[in-house]
Amino acid sequence: MTLPLHHPDDQLLIGYASGQERAGKSLLVATHLAYCPDCRRRVASFEALCGSWFEELPCNDHDGLDALLDRMDGLLTAAHAPAEAKPPKPLAAGSLGGRPVPEPLRSWLPEAIDTPTDDGTWREIAKGVWLSGWERTLSGTTICLLRMASGAPVPAHRHTADELLLVLQGAFSDEYGSYAVGDVAQYVADTDHHASGASEEDCICLFLLDGVLIFLDEAGNPA
Amino acid sequence: MPGRSDQDPDQDRPAQTLDADRLGVLVVAVARDRDRKAFASLFRHFAPKILQYCLKLGADRSMAEELVQDVMLTVWLKADSFDPAQATVGTWVFTIARNRRIDRLRKEMRPAPDLEDPAMTPQSLATPEESAQLVQSSRHLQNAIDSLAANQSEVLRRSYFLEQTHEEIAEDTEVPLGTVKTRLRLALGHLKRSLGDKA
Repeated sequence: MTLPLHHPDDQLLIGYASGQERAGKSLLVATHLAYCPDCRRRVASFEALCGSWFEELPCNDHDGLDALLDRMDGLLTAAHAPAEAKPPKPLAAGSLGGRPVPEPLRSWLPEAIDTPTDDGTWREIAKGVWLSGWERTLSGTTICLLRMASGAPVPAHRHTADELLLVLQGAFSDEYGSYAVGDVAQYVADTDHHASGASEEDCICLFLLDGVLIFLDEAGNPA
Repeated sequence: MPGRSDQDPDQDRPAQTLDADRLGVLVVAVARDRDRKAFASLFRHFAPKILQYCLKLGADRSMAEELVQDVMLTVWLKADSFDPAQATVGTWVFTIARNRRIDRLRKEMRPAPDLEDPAMTPQSLATPEESAQLVQSSRHLQNAIDSLAANQSEVLRRSYFLEQTHEEIAEDTEVPLGTVKTRLRLALGHLKRSLGDKA
């Protein structure tokens, strides 16, 4: 079993642990955690750090809190454990060559993500590179799927804010390394990077972007 | 609350600091025996912290009190899910408070992995080498956290736990903005070194 080799940076992991990170990037981090026992432990350490900061908060302001405790009495009597959390969304049979997308992302995605590229759910942005028609906006972050055929390069583009990729199927590579299922690639604003598909099957990634994405033509002008 | 003052001679005493072991015993008493006196002790320990936490993150007083009630009710209902092998009671209550305030104050959901999900990569699938690596990297991170300079730990606390901007930190701690940014960069660099040669 090969565990992920490329992880979200500590800013994202601490932000996820503390609750400072917003929902969009948290969705990507949480899904990476489902693939990555190493980052699960790292997040647990950061949660413990936040727990120690929480414990250091002053506890001398009892103003009104005793009354609140009294008011809770009836609640405790009436309260029943909530019904079991809803079970995870069933795994679609045969999807993704036996490596289904884990929760929490699976519940967000369409039933099958590796649908034929000509079935109208994909928009080709360059030869062998597609963006999904499926798109969500969460706390200001745009989320969709990026698909790369083997060897197909993602066209040059410019982004004014962070761009994040999480591999869900296949593999891709760029000048920094190669990325397989569960790996995260993180590009800060205005960095040059050149991803292209690097697996026999199409590589499908969760694609997150803060702000606008502008594809450039061959002369480097906005297309 | 009929009869509570008979059962609970501690209730008018000032709150005392409870250590981690004692807090664990109280949570077990709540989980196993539905012990209201133990719950009252947990409430007195944590309610002021939850209140402070919510106020610092922008809740008004009545919303903060509502969140205190919300979080403590979750403690009451979910006490049996507390696992001392995973976290201290303080960390466990922090995670409940964090999730509830994201839900109520920010009106967002908090995505989290589902431990029951068959598609999740369990740690048991790691090779022995990978497992050894996991244990070691988590020890390295703990060492790095413990050895953070106090002023670096403080900027981490303010930016991630209190969600202050760099400008707010500079103003509150009376240091230049550039120093705040430097300390934050040094703190993250210090933690990153604990990753060793991993990306």
